[in-house]
Amino acid sequence: MSYKIPMGPYHPALEEPYKLDLICEGETVSDAKLHIGFNFRGIEHLAESRNYIQVIALMERVCGICSNIHTLTLCQAMEKLTGLTPPPRAQYIRVVIAELERLHSHVLWAGIAAKLMGFKTMFMTCFELREKVMDILQAISGNRVNYSMNRIGGVNRDIEDPLAVLAMVEALEREMVRTVIPIFTTSTTAISRCAGIGVLTREKAVSCGAVGPVARASGLPQDLRRAAPYAAYAEMEFDVPVQQGGDVKARLLVRALEIMESCKILRQALTKMPPGELNAGESKVVFSTGTATSRVEAPRGEVMYSVSWKESSRNPSRVHVRTPTFANMPAIRYMVIGARLADTPLIQASIDPCYSCTDR
Amino acid sequence: MNAVDTPPKKEMYAALAKELGIVDPWIEQGGVHWLNPGALSVRDLAKGMNAVQARFVTITTTQMPGDTGFRLEYHWDLDGQLLGFPYLISGKSIESIYDLCEAVNWIERETHEGFALDFTGREYEPLLLRQGETPGVNLRDAVAVSDAVAVSEVKK
Repeated sequence: MSYKIPMGPYHPALEEPYKLDLICEGETVSDAKLHIGFNFRGIEHLAESRNYIQVIALMERVCGICSNIHTLTLCQAMEKLTGLTPPPRAQYIRVVIAELERLHSHVLWAGIAAKLMGFKTMFMTCFELREKVMDILQAISGNRVNYSMNRIGGVNRDIEDPLAVLAMVEALEREMVRTVIPIFTTSTTAISRCAGIGVLTREKAVSCGAVGPVARASGLPQDLRRAAPYAAYAEMEFDVPVQQGGDVKARLLVRALEIMESCKILRQALTKMPPGELNAGESKVVFSTGTATSRVEAPRGEVMYSVSWKESSRNPSRVHVRTPTFANMPAIRYMVIGARLADTPLIQASIDPCYSCTDR
Repeated sequence: MNAVDTPPKKEMYAALAKELGIVDPWIEQGGVHWLNPGALSVRDLAKGMNAVQARFVTITTTQMPGDTGFRLEYHWDLDGQLLGFPYLISGKSIESIYDLCEAVNWIERETHEGFALDFTGREYEPLLLRQGETPGVNLRDAVAVSDAVAVSEVKK
């Protein structure tokens, strides 16, 4: 006999505005339906009533974790419509903030995953490390969540002492190597809760259009920083971690390895940062009529902005945002089929879902 | 606006356009390689994209001024390059490609619920964006923002 267990939109095992209707046979999930939209905000529509300064502030609020990525993608699209090119130093600063944000996001996710594994000590360790990343972001931008770093044609703030930031990054890297990564990759507690569960096959990852670490954990080597470099990524040397397992363990390993690659990129960006201006210096921004698109590899995967503008208008006529969680969430259905009910909170968390992005 | 001219890419794109039966040239604009699909149906486009193992990215929908229809831009990724195929529709429906491309499911549903567009040949599951029994309401018409504070600030 099958029965339905509704999980959400607010549930002790799913503290987010999202709902999973799980169809179970005993303790085994045989099918699932996903429901989103509980906090739909209509931000794309709101953007059409904001000018080019206001729309940056608005889009920074699409996501509470990768707020910088949204303004970066938006500004890159608007730069194509205005013809403004950020100076080299600004491109490097954009890389630094984007990678710090990836570190912040991945460590935060690791903490939440540890909590769902029943590994509370690790949860506390990860959140302590996350604080250190946020301290660096605060030292650079003055903010801990919405950094307000990007503007059309460059960035708003400089990194005045890159080597001081580098010292903070290296301290963080040492702690990652010493505790987080070994525990996540060798601890019996972590591995036994992650190995072989929530499998997303390569074929399903392709058909669902999965992106980011979810896709890379299913054997798809896609990363826009490599495939279509933006900012100063073309000048950075780094590897794109790929795992073939497709399970929660593979997604955990991909993110753990990406933390190391982010540190590698940060070291290069901070030591090679060229001197110069922070932005194109235009006092008045002039848009041409048209549509411009930009894509960026956010911590959770590909973000795409499509921005349409009419010349002499102060507001965009359309801003469309495709967030990574919107692409990855439908795959949860395939991950939970055949899983034990008790594993579903960890499985759904393994895609690092962002409901704020999804209900933009 | 620049015609696509990188030699290896040019050959690849020319072969793809020929495969799709399109004679118009590719146009690079605003970070996208655009191809006018002409008479090519959106379903035949999806089959062609599947054949070259392109990855579906999204559909960007824009309501045309004066309630004259919609512009739907189908975006696919091919080897890191974003491809765009614009479809102008005067009515309120277009064929669904959900049975050909699973990844399109949520954006078709979101577009249906946000613009009242019907993607024919598919069923809609419970609403994503709205509560209630009526799917397919144009939210832009239903929730006007013309009296928003920010608008008056913009006009200053």
